[in-house]
Amino acid sequence: MASAITIQSVTKTYTRGGESLRVLDELDLTMDGGTFYALMGPSGSGKTTLLNLVGGLDQADSGSVRIGDVDLGELSSSELAGWRAANVGFVFQGFNLLPVLTARENVELPLLLAPLSRAQRRAQAERVLELVGLKDRMDHKPRELSGGQEQRVAIARAIATDPQVLLADEPTGDLDRTTADSVLDLLQRLNRELQKTILMVTHDPQAASYSDKVIHLDKGKLGRIDDNRAASGGRK
Amino acid sequence: MPWKLLWRNVLGHPVRSLLTVGAVAIAVFLVCVLQAVTSGLTRTLSSAAANRLLVQSAVSLFVDLPLSYQQKIAAVPGIEAICKWQWFGGRYEQDKGGFFPQFGIDPDTFAASYPEITIVEGSYADFQRERTACMVGIDTATKYGWKIGQTVPIAGTIFQRTDGRPWEFTVRAIYTSNSAAVDKISLYFPFHYLQESVEQGGAIGPDGVGVYMLRVAKGSDPLAVQQAVDGMFANGPQRVQTTTEAEFNRQFISMLGDVPTLLQLIGGAVLFAIFFAVLNTMLMAGRERTRAIGVMKALGFTDHTTGALLVAESLLLCMLGAALGIGLGLAAEAPFAAATGAFLPGFGFDEATLWLGAGIALGTGLVAGLLPGWRAARMNTIAALREVG
Ligand SMILES: Nc1ncnc2c1ncn2[C@@H]1O[C@H](COP(=O)(O)OP(=O)(O)O)[C@@H](O)[C@H]1O
Ligand SMILES: [Mg+2]
Repeated sequence: MASAITIQSVTKTYTRGGESLRVLDELDLTMDGGTFYALMGPSGSGKTTLLNLVGGLDQADSGSVRIGDVDLGELSSSELAGWRAANVGFVFQGFNLLPVLTARENVELPLLLAPLSRAQRRAQAERVLELVGLKDRMDHKPRELSGGQEQRVAIARAIATDPQVLLADEPTGDLDRTTADSVLDLLQRLNRELQKTILMVTHDPQAASYSDKVIHLDKGKLGRIDDNRAASGGRK
Repeated sequence: MPWKLLWRNVLGHPVRSLLTVGAVAIAVFLVCVLQAVTSGLTRTLSSAAANRLLVQSAVSLFVDLPLSYQQKIAAVPGIEAICKWQWFGGRYEQDKGGFFPQFGIDPDTFAASYPEITIVEGSYADFQRERTACMVGIDTATKYGWKIGQTVPIAGTIFQRTDGRPWEFTVRAIYTSNSAAVDKISLYFPFHYLQESVEQGGAIGPDGVGVYMLRVAKGSDPLAVQQAVDGMFANGPQRVQTTTEAEFNRQFISMLGDVPTLLQLIGGAVLFAIFFAVLNTMLMAGRERTRAIGVMKALGFTDHTTGALLVAESLLLCMLGAALGIGLGLAAEAPFAAATGAFLPGFGFDEATLWLGAGIALGTGLVAGLLPGWRAARMNTIAALREVG
């Protein structure tokens, strides 16, 4: 059974220019393992902040973030780095591939942190690139790929170490409609076929429609949660 | 450590990397050459013989001493042998650009006074026997392919033959030297040939002696000899200055100024400049990789690894530069030694010089990599990911 994400009365405050801003305010939220969540809300409502907390890139001021039975608040920064390497994959709006590495080398990068031989790393990178439909492009540098291809390489990199959780921050924000749809299809497939837990920030209702559930966030507070599966008559 | 990424980062900016490697290479090369000159000077001075004194005019090395002084000097107790040295200043017409010194010397006392010299071809006795014979250093003989028995034409500049023809010397001995105190490029011929030519009207030129070399007998005090000789001519007709060979060499070299200090200053300035060049490259590299550093940290690479990657890159650039610079230095060693042989028989890259070059590159790479590396390590992951561009 895939591990759940449990957020309990999490508060995160940023101070800027002497003013403190409470970005997340006593937030409580539980997400089931193996479910595809979309996270929506106005700009500045704390979506990225929440994603960073769940991904162990940042720590809450108070409250707890647990993935399965790991309380991220109890890990040191180097323990968090190790935890991230094994348990979570990130997909960013701007793709963030390293420009000097080929597609395959970008995908191999997180595998360097896993106990794998050179040949195993190579095989795994090729396997996930095949999964995202880019095996024939694996020796290309990012600048030789289209935006949609770059994002699919980034998704391959995020799932290379086979993490349980995928975090995507506006992954289709820089893509046109058709390309966005193919990336969203891919994410949906990863959720359905590989049971990845996905949390995807988006502004786009059509993108959100690919998810199982839509979480609405407003000014650091939880709004309603829509269930797409119920709406579409239980697709799953 | 993601070695491939390190390598790709370097290759990702080929021009910048090449310029940095090239700058380090030139600096290492320069420092090696400067160091070789300095240590060549030291070696030349430190291998000077303690039992050889040189008597020159108190006015300058360019003023000759009277021939009549030899007998008077010989009367000073403690002197075992005297050998005249006269700078000939001739030109070998077949190689106008080349240079090797020629001296008129006394063959009867020369060999015994300079045990550093060994004859490798021909014989000293043959050289000693013949008025127009000459003995040449192995480097010069090899350079021009001179053989025993061959006649070598040298045009006089200070001493010119009245028939307008060049002087001709027959090669009777080729010598080598096992000490930095004696070079391997000079041509020696009998002083009395020169003297007789001038006296008999076969040539015109100064009639005197540049330097008297005094060999001090075992058990005698060189300082006492030195003072006695200087004292003997204190009231003229021409005052002399007697020095040890080391001091003589030092004065000869310092005609060019305070060379070692100057060289060290230049070397220091070069290193200073190169350090900032490498630091600048690495700071640029660190800054433009801000996002990549954020990504790596998000993927789970530690602060330590992301910082070390930049330090390693700096080290890599500098070590490549050092290898290139040392290679250049080794390639240039022989031509440099040939060009400086007359003044600096001790010139050469010893192991210490090469290690110095490598050490400097290592130090520069490490220090220049630390600041950007430390920045990368400290960099906040989220802030780095937010960075645009
Ligand atoms: N490192 C930070 N320092 C100060 N303020 C920040 C920082 N990160 C985010 N904020 C502020 O917190 C609020 C929420 O940011 P964010 O979570 O990125 O919102 P969203 O992703 O929903 O647009 C914004 O007002 C933003 O300006
Ligand atoms: Mg955001």
